[in-house]
Order: sequence, then structure tokens, then C-alpha cells
Amino acid sequence: MVIYGVYIVSKSGGLIFNYECNVPKIETEKTFGYPLDLKLNYENKKIVVEFGQRDGVMVGHVLTAVNGIPATGRQLDDGRDVFDIINERENYPLSLKFARLRMTTNEKIFLASMFYPLFAIASQLSPEPRCSGIEVLEADTFKLQCFQTLTGVKFMVVAEPTQAGLDILLRRIYELYSDFALKNPFYSLEMPIRCELFDSNLQNLLEHVEKTGISNV
Amino acid sequence: MTVHNIYIFDRYGTLLYYYEWNRLKQSGITREEEAKLMYGMLFSIKSFVNKISPLDTKDGFLCYKTSKYSLHFFETPSSIKFVLTTDVGAQNVRQFLQQIYSQIYVEYAVKNPVWQNNKPIKSELFKSKLDAFVKQSPIFVSKAN
Amino acid sequence: MSRQGTRLDTKNVNSELFTLTYGALVSQLMKDYTNVEDVNKQLERMGYNIGIRLIEDFLARTGSGRCYDFRDTADKIQMGFRIFLGVTPTITNWSSAGDEFSLQFESNPLTEFIELPDHCLNLKYANVLTGVLRGACEMVQMEVTSWFAQDQLKGDTVTELRVKFVKRLEDAIPAGED
Repeated sequence: MVIYGVYIVSKSGGLIFNYECNVPKIETEKTFGYPLDLKLNYENKKIVVEFGQRDGVMVGHVLTAVNGIPATGRQLDDGRDVFDIINERENYPLSLKFARLRMTTNEKIFLASMFYPLFAIASQLSPEPRCSGIEVLEADTFKLQCFQTLTGVKFMVVAEPTQAGLDILLRRIYELYSDFALKNPFYSLEMPIRCELFDSNLQNLLEHVEKTGISNV
Repeated sequence: MTVHNIYIFDRYGTLLYYYEWNRLKQSGITREEEAKLMYGMLFSIKSFVNKISPLDTKDGFLCYKTSKYSLHFFETPSSIKFVLTTDVGAQNVRQFLQQIYSQIYVEYAVKNPVWQNNKPIKSELFKSKLDAFVKQSPIFVSKAN
Repeated sequence: MSRQGTRLDTKNVNSELFTLTYGALVSQLMKDYTNVEDVNKQLERMGYNIGIRLIEDFLARTGSGRCYDFRDTADKIQMGFRIFLGVTPTITNWSSAGDEFSLQFESNPLTEFIELPDHCLNLKYANVLTGVLRGACEMVQMEVTSWFAQDQLKGDTVTELRVKFVKRLEDAIPAGED
């Protein structure tokens, strides 16, 4: 089984802990001739493939390097503008590197704060009375299971779509949280969890689960 | 097994069709506001799913479950969004939504000559066909029975 | 699959009836408009209205997913011609940037019996097709333009429909409360 990540969101909606593992690096480097047969678009300070996907370069991937020189936004590390290079015939053949970007810490914090309203709306739109928020969210590439404690802390784990028994894992993580974060006198509530014991125990738990499955935890 | 309700949205977020079979709780806002809220939530979930996904997504968001109901989502390449809420045990609902699209929506909405793109579906034929189609499905067993 | 029992067997609808209907439509348009360019425009507009419906039928029948590459789009368009018109155009003449290609038709059911009279030399007889492509692609978030580069009705050896990718269209974001 594969676990991709664990997130803990405090009662007030702040991300207080996240752990990422097994997220594959998706990257493709390819040599192109003139004119470039991909449509690139500059959005949110990134150069994104908008249309035209083949050989591992997918729509939504971000341009990360030109001829081995890393690019930040539309600027190369040597100061040149990426679009200036791409539009000039004499610069070809060009080697371009594209990647699926990992989430930055800021994005994670942003996403965590997005959970909150989504969960509340899911409960408001319920056709049945006395409904909880989202407990499981399924997509074609992953499954997210959420467990909310009575005190309002949310534990979330992202795993393979077929993974069953994640609720048991979440309860174990809750136990670890109460043991190694809450019982630690130097941890203050609502603050990011920076406790080595918690980290190492969580890591052990996840390794154990990956090797022997959830039923044994 | 129960089917609660269905929402069909076009790509501009217009609510093309709404119908409910078993709904015990209303959201307490007008249908129009509710539709906006639903569309907004779906939009956010989609972008959320795209960001948090460890791999490149294809279909993206499929469904979510709460303690009382499941929401199933199916979007065509033409961005028509079908949303069906059921009890949490319902199986193969996505496939069922696909059939609603190809056997009901395309046949009785799109092929109807008075159909207008981006306008709510008023056709009685569509309504009765959809109703019958949902009621004959194994997902639908009314609570009353 | 419309109302039970009234469904026509698509294989049994005479294609000549279709060709004749289209011919009658075009010639009526020629009478209603003095300017040939206006007729071309009308045909394109009708095609657009057909395209935005036809795409749903296409998607429902084929179960195809979204295109992420213009080459996929070309294949799907070719498949569409096969499904709806019973002809399989050849995909050729790709531009080097991969954003333009041609569909070559050896026969076109729309133009089977047609001889263009002299005063109609600027008429794009099958212009409805360009509209269909524009409408269908627009519904799947893609703007394309297309035009007839060669036309058998005008003495060319083949009919060539050129299709060009313009841009991707964005999904609408939810309206704000304003």
C-alpha cells in the first residue's frame, strides 16, 4: 500500500503538521525543433503547458529548465527571458525540461485553509439532516480520508485510490498526536507541531503500515 | 439505497436542471443560491484535487462521502457537470451518471429542437424520462418502501 | 433513442434525401440573400448551431475524453466525419508547429450532385462544415478556425478543409456576489 501524505489541521483551520512521502518526481526533458509544437502560457508566475501533450510532457506541467539552465517563472538563471529564447529560430534545437510541480509549503497552508469551508458547505448542502462534513474524497489518482475529532482537529491522509482501512490509520495518528504532541508540555495548542518524537513515531507507523498493511496496526 | 437529488450544470455554472427524489433537509437558502454554492464548492474541490494529487490527474474529482450521503460527480469534455447525491452505500454511480448523460441528456435535451445552449431545461419529456430512468435503477429504492 | 418506437434506423435514412435537403437549403439561401458572402456566413452560423449539439452526441457515443493534443483533436474530428457523414477524410499537411492540419476528402456526400453556376463562384457550398467544427470544438474549450483550401466544386482534384488551432478557452469561474 502507498501513503502519499498526512496533514493535521487545527480547530481554527491552520495547517499544524504535514508529512509527505512516496510522491513521485514527474519530470521530462526533451529536445525540440523550431517552431515549438507546444502551447505554453505564462500564468501565476509560471510557464505552463496549455495544450499539446506527448512523450511524457503533460498539460499542466511547468517549464523548469532550458538547455539545462534552471528557469524561475519566465526568467532563466542567467537573466534571459524564456519566451525570447523560444521564439527565436536560431536558438533551436532547444532542450526543455518540464515537471509536475510539487506543492510548496505556502500552497499546502493555503489548501489546508480551503478544507474548512468545503467541509462546512458539504454539510450545509446535505439532503439529509445532521450530516457531517466530508469524510472521504475520491479522485482518479488518490483518496483522501479525513477524521475530525470532537475537539475540532482534523486529521487527513492521502493514499492510493484503492486503499481501504484508512480510518484505522487516522485513529492511530490521533493517538500519536495526543501522546507526543499534546502531552508534551512544551507544545502549545494550535501551533505547528515540531516534536521529534511525534515525527519519528509517525514515520515508524507509516513504514509499518506500508510493509504489513493496515490491519496490523 | 436511495437517490436524493440531481444537479446538472453547464460550463458557465448555470443550473440546467434540478430534481429531488428523497430530500429530508433543505439548505435553507433559495434554489438559486444553493446552486451557486454547489457550483462554487465543486469548482474549489476540483482545483483542490488537482493541487493535492500526487500524480497527473485525468478524471480528477470523482466523489465524496459524508456520514449521511455521497456526492458523485461526472463531467463531460464539454464541461457539463452532473452531480448526484445518494446514500453512502451506492455503487457504480459514476457509470450511472454517464448513462444519464448519453441516454437522457443528449437524447432528450440536446436533440430537442427547442433546446438552447446554456438555458435551463424545461422539457417535460426530459423530466419524465429522467425520472423513470432513475427510478428503475438499482441505486434507487425509495425509503418509503 | 427518442420516444419509444419512433426511433429511425439511421442506416435506413436515405442519404440522397439528406444531400437534396442540404441542396435545397443552400439554393434557398442564395435566393434570400443577394450577396454570396452572406450565404457563406449563414451556412457557417447554421453549422455552428449544429456543432454545439452534435458534439454532445459524439461524446456520448464514443465516450471519448478531453483532448490534450491537437493530434488527438484531428483524430476525433476524423472519427466524427466517419460517424456522421460516413466519409473518412485523410489527415495531412501538418504545420510544423503542430497547430494546423488539413482534412482531404475524396468524396463529400454534401456535394454529390452539385455543379456551381457561374454567379455562385464565390459560394462555399459546404461551408456548414466549418461552422460545425467551430461549434463542436468551442464546446470542448478549444477555439479553432477552418476554411476550404481546395474544393472539387471549383475544379480542384480534392476537397481540402484546413483546420487551425487558435486557443484554449477557460472554464468559467463561479460568479462573485456583486
